[in-house]
Amino acid sequence: MRIVVGDKSPIIDELQSIFPDAIVAVQPVRDNVPTVWVRQGSLKDVLGYLKSGISKPFRTLFDLTAIDERLRVSRNGQPESDFTVVYHLISYERNEDVRVKVALKGDAPSIPSIVKLWPCANWYEREVWDMFGVRFEGHPNLRRILLPQRWKGHPLRKEHPARATEMGPFELPDYRAEEEDSRLQFHPEEWGLPDYGPDTRYIFLNMGPQHPGTHGPFRIVLALDGEVIVDAIPDIGFHHRGAEKMAERQTWHTFIPYTDRIDYLGGVMNNLPYCMAVERLAGIEVPDKAKVIRVMMAEFFRIASHLVFYGTYAQDVGAMSPVFFMFNDRERVFSIVEAICGGRMHPSWFRIGGVAQDLPKGWEKLVGQFVKYFPARLDEFLKLVMHNRLLKARTKGIGVYTLDEAIEWGVTGPGLRACGLEWDFRKDRPYSGYDQFEFDVPTGQNGDAYDRGAVRAEELRQSLRIIEQCLKMMPDGPYMADHPLATPPPKHLTMHHIETLIHHFLNVTWGPVIPAGEATAIVEATKGNNAYYLISDGNTNSYRTRIRTPSFAHLQMIPLIIRGSAIADLVALLGSIDFVMADVDR
Amino acid sequence: MDLAIPVILVIVKVLLVIFVVLTFVAYTTLLERRVLGWFQVRLGPNRVGPWGLLQPLADGAKLLLKEEVTVTAANRWIYLVAPLIVVTCALTPFAVIPFAKDLYLDRIFDQAASKFVLNTGVISDLNVGILFVFAVSSLGTYGVLLGGWSSNNKYSLLGGVRAGAQMISYELALSLSVIGVLLLAGTLSLTQIVEAQDSVWKWYVFRQPLGFILFLIAGSAEIGRTPFDLVECENELVAGYQTEYSAMKFGLFYLGEYAHLLFLSALMTTLYFGGWQGPFFPPIVWFLIKTFFFAFVFIWIRATYPRLRYDRVMAFGWKVLLPVGLFNVMVTAFVYTLWLQYRG
Amino acid sequence: MLDSYLPVLVIVAISAVVGLAIIILSTVLSLNKDPSRIKLMPYECGMDPIGDARRRFSVRFFLIGMLFIVFDIELIFFFPWATIYEDLRMFGFVEMLIFVLVLLVGLGYVWRKGALQWE
Repeated sequence: MRIVVGDKSPIIDELQSIFPDAIVAVQPVRDNVPTVWVRQGSLKDVLGYLKSGISKPFRTLFDLTAIDERLRVSRNGQPESDFTVVYHLISYERNEDVRVKVALKGDAPSIPSIVKLWPCANWYEREVWDMFGVRFEGHPNLRRILLPQRWKGHPLRKEHPARATEMGPFELPDYRAEEEDSRLQFHPEEWGLPDYGPDTRYIFLNMGPQHPGTHGPFRIVLALDGEVIVDAIPDIGFHHRGAEKMAERQTWHTFIPYTDRIDYLGGVMNNLPYCMAVERLAGIEVPDKAKVIRVMMAEFFRIASHLVFYGTYAQDVGAMSPVFFMFNDRERVFSIVEAICGGRMHPSWFRIGGVAQDLPKGWEKLVGQFVKYFPARLDEFLKLVMHNRLLKARTKGIGVYTLDEAIEWGVTGPGLRACGLEWDFRKDRPYSGYDQFEFDVPTGQNGDAYDRGAVRAEELRQSLRIIEQCLKMMPDGPYMADHPLATPPPKHLTMHHIETLIHHFLNVTWGPVIPAGEATAIVEATKGNNAYYLISDGNTNSYRTRIRTPSFAHLQMIPLIIRGSAIADLVALLGSIDFVMADVDR
Repeated sequence: MDLAIPVILVIVKVLLVIFVVLTFVAYTTLLERRVLGWFQVRLGPNRVGPWGLLQPLADGAKLLLKEEVTVTAANRWIYLVAPLIVVTCALTPFAVIPFAKDLYLDRIFDQAASKFVLNTGVISDLNVGILFVFAVSSLGTYGVLLGGWSSNNKYSLLGGVRAGAQMISYELALSLSVIGVLLLAGTLSLTQIVEAQDSVWKWYVFRQPLGFILFLIAGSAEIGRTPFDLVECENELVAGYQTEYSAMKFGLFYLGEYAHLLFLSALMTTLYFGGWQGPFFPPIVWFLIKTFFFAFVFIWIRATYPRLRYDRVMAFGWKVLLPVGLFNVMVTAFVYTLWLQYRG
Repeated sequence: MLDSYLPVLVIVAISAVVGLAIIILSTVLSLNKDPSRIKLMPYECGMDPIGDARRRFSVRFFLIGMLFIVFDIELIFFFPWATIYEDLRMFGFVEMLIFVLVLLVGLGYVWRKGALQWE
């Protein structure tokens, strides 16, 4: 199946005219993102041109990942490749994406690093090395990032076992545990820090993984001069659960609950990009009612997640009470979520082609009550937190990054808008019917910790506006697409037509067979842009699932922002980033 | 014999006061947790005994039974002495706080009572009372500093250093803030200061409003309460100087902290709110009402404000509180001179 | 004189004894007396500590510490002055005004010099 638009993209024409030898192929994909295969030797030139040579350049390296292609059957005319490295770039000026792929051969492939071009490629390349064993030539510190250093093999390779039963029992006797501990010992020279000598006045301090200020198992090694941070080295991976590998053995349908746990505060917000990507692959058009329900639930989860942010943000700068008020109101949100979905934090409620159930009777009343109740609370929170002078003193001018830095480093979501760029996927690339809603995109100017808080505080209000519109304009109709791949098909119809019965049986027992292809779906999630890049090989489970999470990019930026500030500022910065480690490590 | 009975009586009096103070300290922790709970739409501890009244006992028992951990690399003796310093320095200043007018002891021990001034509602009415208070209570910082340093833990060290920084920034403002009161009262003895405030309009809070505000701010910095709780702020330093302390050694720090809180409330009552003076109720009741009111105020502040940053805290002490304190003293002196002149 | 300081001595002694008694009691009563090796390591967020905490440490406010001593000693002069102010009156006021001005000049000087600043 070829999608024509992809080939005709002007950006591809331009690349072909400038780099006639570099472009190996143009690949049709289901999400219409221009996708070109580039010769390895000219990769840096092409990316460099896209980043700075072209008019309205692609300045954001949105994602960098790889695919183990060795077992892929339906390649659909793609060039020969064992491992493919994929670069996903975004231009906010053009409102366009481009995907660049490079084919690598052999069992120990290598490719030039682009860290010099995009500093944020650092962690992405480390992750690809960790997961696929692709070596990046010229990378300053190519070491494992998510898995323990002693790990054998590269787990996202197809030959790496996916089940515990294939790996032999896990044991951690005391001596091994101590060995692990000593492996985690920090050695400045390994991280390219200067040797400060034995008589230095700098001290090194582990902040995290078990620290109350780091919001989960996140480790930052600080080089301190008194309380001033000379350097910071973030270390992640303590929360890694191998979600991408699991996706390769779960069916398309049964992976949905795993997505809930990626950003565990986002609930169904995580289901959305995954389901959208699968629907793109399958060509399912979601009915209007399902779209509006999805929007409503996603916005409820945005409120829930932002409330946690709001409270912990205040908590991080030392205000004790707001977090309780906000968790209290979050509880109200959850009681509505519970009434509608049956679950609370992880309802796993969206389905391929729609949502799991119709809205329950009386949902309008619950939602209506909340819509009436919440605005006054928001005013109160504003007074309590954002207008507090001590909080302003702690957050204004703290943790600043410029708009250029934000774009370069792949900052998305409220963190990007706090720098003044009015960019919201819901507005600029409306999905799931967001173009039908009226809402504003709040922005800041200074890109500091205060603005990041203020933007989110206003987003709460906008989410409420959207929910109010959902309440008023909830359409009638089915909540599930009438499509053979929609999973599960409406149960009550199975007793009426044999067709549905068969689909129900197959989709539930084996799982739906999604046509071969590639698609990305990006949403404006609670913490930034969340993307699922799915590759189907025409099977009941995904060939490759790439989960691009916002927090991963945000955390990588910390050293850049925090050098020269105090420990207290680091805590304020961490609070203002709004991350959860599950979202970073997946 | 002449000396023995009064000395024994002094010891009994001191023991009694310490026992009462410790009990109040224990219940201040409960008060804090209940009041915070009330501020924060939650319940607070309410399961041990009626209204959670036995909670402090349960906490004490728990701390007593906890495992004692002394870090191998710690400097053992200093590590052990640090909480003792904190507790001693927090309890000792209560010696000069006048908690009541008298104890009606003259009815029982005629002679002895007069001999050692036992009958007063204060353990010892030092004529340099206020100086003594500042001297002893700021010594408590040594406990924190030493505790932080001796743990051989970087978080503790940072906490200890912060304690030192905070002390050198707020001690000045704290002593300056009370000069106005001393000037008007013409004495350093806390008992005489209380006696000078024999009616509500003579309370020094009305004559020294700026001084009182300074005292409140510098005082909360002195005892390390929000917004100045840098020494143990959990978001930044895990538990600050107490990180390595466990069981009752940790408990002693806790105890010292709350004793300090109560003491500061009592001092505020004494200096600005007429101490034990008040109509209808017995003096001791008034004293407790006022003291716990200020304890409540500190809890209230904790429930409301975020925490300041370390360098700003220091800058605030030096650049704002110190000049304002000097200003307050001079204005007080000037107005008082005019008033004295006018009165003749 | 001694009369008023004896009770102070007593309270110092008793507070210290109470503190010590509590620690001893806790040591005797504690249920688990054999902490593991890991527990006996300094806590650094669950990682092995990087180096020792006893090393050169940059105390950025040492200058403020010096200033504190100077100013604190100067402030001590306020106490006797305040106590006998009723007798000094205008003379005392002017005298102290000069003193405070000198103090303020000193404060202004260190302020301008940036001694109260960190960076």
